[in-house]
Amino acid sequence: MAEILKVNNVSKHFGGLMAVNDVSFSINEGETLGLMGPNGAGKTTLVNMITGQYLADAGNIQFMGHDITKLPPYKRCKLGISRTYQIPRPFPELTALMSVVVSALYGKDRTNQSLEDAATEATQYLEFCGLFSKRNVLGKDLTLYELRGLELARALATTPKLVFVDEVMAGLNPSEASKAVRLLERTKEEFGVTILWIEHVMAALMKAAQRVVVLHYGKKICEGPPQAVANDPYVIECYLGSCHV
Amino acid sequence: MELEVKREKLVLRVGTQKLEWHIEPRYWRNPAIYVGALIVLSVLVYFFYPTLLPTIIDANLLAAIAIPLGWMTIGTGRLNFGPQFYIGAGGYAAALCSIHLGWPPFVTLLVAIIAGLVFGLLMSPLSIIAGGLYYTLLTLLFPLVFLEVTFIYIDLFKGDTGLFGIAPMVNLGSFTLNQLLLCLMSLFMMLVYMLIVDKILRSKFATSMAAINDDEEVAEAMGVNVKKIKIISFTVPAVMIAVIGWFYAHYYGTFSGITYLPLTFMLKVLMVSMIGGRVQIYGNVVGGYFIAFLELLLINVVGDYSPVIFPVILLILLLTLPEGLFGLYRKRHYREYLPTIHVRR
Repeated sequence: MAEILKVNNVSKHFGGLMAVNDVSFSINEGETLGLMGPNGAGKTTLVNMITGQYLADAGNIQFMGHDITKLPPYKRCKLGISRTYQIPRPFPELTALMSVVVSALYGKDRTNQSLEDAATEATQYLEFCGLFSKRNVLGKDLTLYELRGLELARALATTPKLVFVDEVMAGLNPSEASKAVRLLERTKEEFGVTILWIEHVMAALMKAAQRVVVLHYGKKICEGPPQAVANDPYVIECYLGSCHV
Repeated sequence: MELEVKREKLVLRVGTQKLEWHIEPRYWRNPAIYVGALIVLSVLVYFFYPTLLPTIIDANLLAAIAIPLGWMTIGTGRLNFGPQFYIGAGGYAAALCSIHLGWPPFVTLLVAIIAGLVFGLLMSPLSIIAGGLYYTLLTLLFPLVFLEVTFIYIDLFKGDTGLFGIAPMVNLGSFTLNQLLLCLMSLFMMLVYMLIVDKILRSKFATSMAAINDDEEVAEAMGVNVKKIKIISFTVPAVMIAVIGWFYAHYYGTFSGITYLPLTFMLKVLMVSMIGGRVQIYGNVVGGYFIAFLELLLINVVGDYSPVIFPVILLILLLTLPEGLFGLYRKRHYREYLPTIHVRR
């Protein structure tokens, strides 16, 4: 499998706080990579650097052979990077359909796509995420589970090669959480995307991820198959407490 | 022959023949009816009450300022508190060229457009680097700074006396006929602006503006070139507002910053936007006419107290009608954002 993303020694600090410290890893095409760590480990900061919300203070990021370290977020999106948010960030005054239309129109380089074509495409992604019946509901009126689905539909509408999924199960009840995980599995099967999945729920990552990277206080402390990571004594000490999985 | 007007149809009986026309509710939403009504109003006022023509011109120009301001607000996601800066830029550019170079109005129009473009481009980075209160305060400050400049360079701008001797826009020999033609020109300008902004707000460009307005960080993550959209949404409306400054200069034959640059004029423009219904371009027309006629009424009724009572009435309306006057109509309809597409399975 070819390498799709390579993160080399990236660091980010906010004043005196080192949020991400010399982190390196790579993702292969078609893989599901898990990213885990305690709260404040720097997971979301790392994702923000890869998607362009923050610029890295040191290091470089290569995506599909392009150096994207200094590129603005919209250009990274057009190259094929998309994301969902840990706390859903819908467009509150746009309907679900129009939110996905924005991604369909601007998330990829397709010149002269009409609004109607984008809407047709958007409905397909909404249908895939089970939100077609909610297409005319404003973003602020959707439930948490529906917002997670909308985030995924919005991310998929940009036709990404790499999707960052940030704690998709957070705040959902067990039934909704399992539906969300199945949706991610179907996403991989249907669209063939590479997924970087940030998650606290180890059981979900154990089933879905081929590899897991663990961060702690901004540093990478472990990388490997889920079972190996779960049994790593330092990971257990830093993150899982004293229980073995 | 008998004509019967019912709620949803017109019935004409001629002898034994009966002709019916069904009037669909959507026909009343045809803008042509209201455009025609405004033109007819101007002509009727010319014949029966020509002293009202300047008020109608004022209403049209206020609406014509508020319409591009609405586009600027949606596109940048910020409210510009100093649109009068561009009126000053366009007005002074046109006035100086008319007085010192003897250029006719339709040549000074190009100068006003260039002035609006230059200042719009120079100031557009504000919409990228400044946000919230900082953007508001900076845009509030610039017209006041411009006003001070007109006093500092008094030889050029003539301070509060202003520039006079500007070539008139039209000269048909009769004052009231000139007023009618200027009224129709101002109406035409307002309608053109409404058409342009309406087209833009129904286009796919508007989806990016709507996304920026809601959450620009997420919009950029979804592929929207936020900087480009903001610069376009700032600069083009600035040019449109500068053209209104050109119109004011050639309409009155004088141009003074003290009339347009202070906060009082800004208040009128913002109230047109708010009273008409926030960022509703059709509502800006309602707001423009409302503000212009209310001001005239207060001057005639309460005279010297109108500068106090006018803002009080507007504040009361803002508090009791947060959606504005046009919002009363919009409230009945499903709340749509711009643009909207309805899809059936």
